[in-house]
Amino acid sequence: MSGKVSRRQAMGRVARGAAVTGLGLSAGFLVHKAEGQVVWQIDASKCVNSRLGEVGVKVCDLCVKECVVTQSAVRAVNEYSKCGRCCVCPAYYSVKSAVGRDGLPSEKLCPRDAILRKPIGEADPNDPANNFYEYVIDEAKCDGCGKCVMACKEPAGLSSIILKVRHDLCVNCNNCAISTACPKDALNQWPALKAVLGESAPA
Amino acid sequence: MSRRRAVLALLAVCVLGCLAENAQGQALHYERPVERAPQEKDIGGGYVTPKVQKPLPRRAWLEILDVALLAAAMGVSVWIVVKRRSRRWLVALTVASVGYFGFYREGCVCPIGSIQNVTVALTDPNYHIPMVVTATFFLPLLVAVFYGRAFCGGVCALGSIQELVLLKPVQVPRRLDQALGLLKYVYLAAAIWYAVLPAAQRDFVICRFDPFVSLFRRSGFAHMLALGAGFLVLGMFVGRPYCRYLCPYGGLLSWFSRLAARGVSITPNKELDCGLCAEACPYGAIEEMRAVRRKCLYCARCYAACPREGPLVKAFVPLGEVR
Amino acid sequence: MSGPGLKNATIAAGAVMVLSVVALAVDYAVMRGWTPASDAQIAALQEKVQRDAKLAPVLAAEQKRIAEFNRARRARVNWLSLVLVGAAAGFLGGAKRLLAGQARPPVRVPERGPSAVWPRAGRAVAAQAAAAAPEIDLTFVDGLIEKEGRGAEAAIPILQAIQAHYRYLPDEALRRVCHLTEISPAQIAGTSSFYSRFRRSPVGEHIVRVCHGTACHVAGARQITDELRRELAIAEGEDTDPSRTFTVEEVACLGCCSLAPVLMVDEHTAGKLTPATACDALAAVQPGERA
Repeated sequence: MSGKVSRRQAMGRVARGAAVTGLGLSAGFLVHKAEGQVVWQIDASKCVNSRLGEVGVKVCDLCVKECVVTQSAVRAVNEYSKCGRCCVCPAYYSVKSAVGRDGLPSEKLCPRDAILRKPIGEADPNDPANNFYEYVIDEAKCDGCGKCVMACKEPAGLSSIILKVRHDLCVNCNNCAISTACPKDALNQWPALKAVLGESAPA
Repeated sequence: MSRRRAVLALLAVCVLGCLAENAQGQALHYERPVERAPQEKDIGGGYVTPKVQKPLPRRAWLEILDVALLAAAMGVSVWIVVKRRSRRWLVALTVASVGYFGFYREGCVCPIGSIQNVTVALTDPNYHIPMVVTATFFLPLLVAVFYGRAFCGGVCALGSIQELVLLKPVQVPRRLDQALGLLKYVYLAAAIWYAVLPAAQRDFVICRFDPFVSLFRRSGFAHMLALGAGFLVLGMFVGRPYCRYLCPYGGLLSWFSRLAARGVSITPNKELDCGLCAEACPYGAIEEMRAVRRKCLYCARCYAACPREGPLVKAFVPLGEVR
Repeated sequence: MSGPGLKNATIAAGAVMVLSVVALAVDYAVMRGWTPASDAQIAALQEKVQRDAKLAPVLAAEQKRIAEFNRARRARVNWLSLVLVGAAAGFLGGAKRLLAGQARPPVRVPERGPSAVWPRAGRAVAAQAAAAAPEIDLTFVDGLIEKEGRGAEAAIPILQAIQAHYRYLPDEALRRVCHLTEISPAQIAGTSSFYSRFRRSPVGEHIVRVCHGTACHVAGARQITDELRRELAIAEGEDTDPSRTFTVEEVACLGCCSLAPVLMVDEHTAGKLTPATACDALAAVQPGERA
């Protein structure tokens, strides 16, 4: 490409240079404020199902209906360290249902039978109420309908169950369908590191 | 000691329940039995609190790999079109892109959608935009400045799937083509408008009405699946309807590609003026025997149609002569 | 894969594609009705259980059944969609190959250097011409020479007569002339190549004269000629197509510049041509003939 550069070529070079500079500057600005990887994350303090004080409202199941993944990527998660391990768990049993012969509510709350209940250690059959029970959510069955979350909320329970996004199932849509539908704007993209390590979304 | 009391109450209820055999339909009087969660030491017996399921998001290096692959694919696309001049290789790249960016990565995040992220990031100081999205947005534009719409050809998953379904293209009348081509700027303006709204009303319309992403995921709303299928059926006869008439990123790329110095070139210095290339171009991008940069979608069909395009021609065209 | 096999495979893939789309659509339609119905069923059962705890196992079984059914359905839909993607890929690939086979075979234009497809003028063409017109009645040449004489001065009248009779100068006739007269091969070669009226190769049944006058040249006569030559598969260095139907000539002016670019097929004139319409002009003499 030696020799004379035509006027046209020179103009082209100048225009390209200007375009590259413009792109570079705006990209630099964005990189400057960038914060690594971001993932969709539910803010438990905003979600109707887990927000304290929201009592007697209808359970919000938009996470089931809106998620583009066939079985929603939102699942209920039991924070075991907060779980009361009660004999009659309001999230496991529908406490309003009739009492059966065993003295426990006859109906389970989960429509998909996704919560497993098993006694911890040696169960004393004569004193069932005094045992501890472990409640494990089978995430293969759970679809994040939020019924157990609402039932476990204080004061009925200890608010140990909350809804969380399963990051391995979430396809990380640019425009999360749940977040657009969520009436409380509880779903947001947060930097992954904080979201995963922290208990709830950073303020 | 409240736990003990609650247990007693519960037992009483149980006993009552057992006594009153017929009193079914009576619900339990429920009251929370504990005030705080028992910990390992309260439970005893060597109990270990199970780990909370906390699946990690996709590895960060995999996301960076996506960007690297995007850049590499555009590089390969440029190499195939400018240097290798082969339709066959480009089809291979197209299939690979549909497979990786489409069906494996499920079409997210793509430069088309990232228009909105970038817009929001430029206007809203509280918005987090990851480096990966920034790179996804700027890389194809940067390539367009030098080589034209190399991204559109065999890299963009949305474009590639339309490229592959094209069966028997009809030429769209030029006037209609130009009029429909303006739609994408309207769409771009609408997308930006919805993205700069305050956070609560913000909506990413491009992603919401992306016709192919539900096909890639093989799940989604029925109307979006139907829309995607409709675009593909239309795309069998009209070359890439989404890319040419709706894609907002295509609008940006066509602006930047006006500056491009290289790109698809109709067999340099050896034209027959036969017009076979213009006939072969399903996108109406060859005008007066020259590929128009802003319209050319890097499909290399013109090379395949050219009678003068052969190994000899390729060997004897010095790169400097390529227009 | 060969023609019919490919066609059958394509049709089969298309059928699988359509079937899976129908299956998915039916599944969707059925589930649209089924999901609310099963929800209502569960709600009714829950209502009953509130009154009668004995029904609790029934409810639990029902819940379990529905959950299992949903999971099975998800797996089914996933499989179906994979089949759909595969079938669509097969159908499109097959259809593309079929369409490509139907389309006009690509026109070959010779590269520089010798090419096996279209031989240049020379020995190969002579052989081809001999194959096309092997028998030439040379008694006309004998009679002609008797009439015109055997001197070197008779060369031009003899060549003119041969040209008029055979419409070109057959090599056999020229050899015969050299044999019978005092005209040398060098003189014949010189004369026949000097006057453009003489031609050494057989002429086609119809003569296409493409005007290359100033007006037609400006209006793109070059493209018209090129297009005709390509359509008729006239090799480089030749002016007649292999089937000897058309001979394409470039002439100075046909005298109708207002119709530029213009050509004449025998005595039919066609004007205001474009490369796309040039070949239609040939239909004037041979309606069926489109190379």
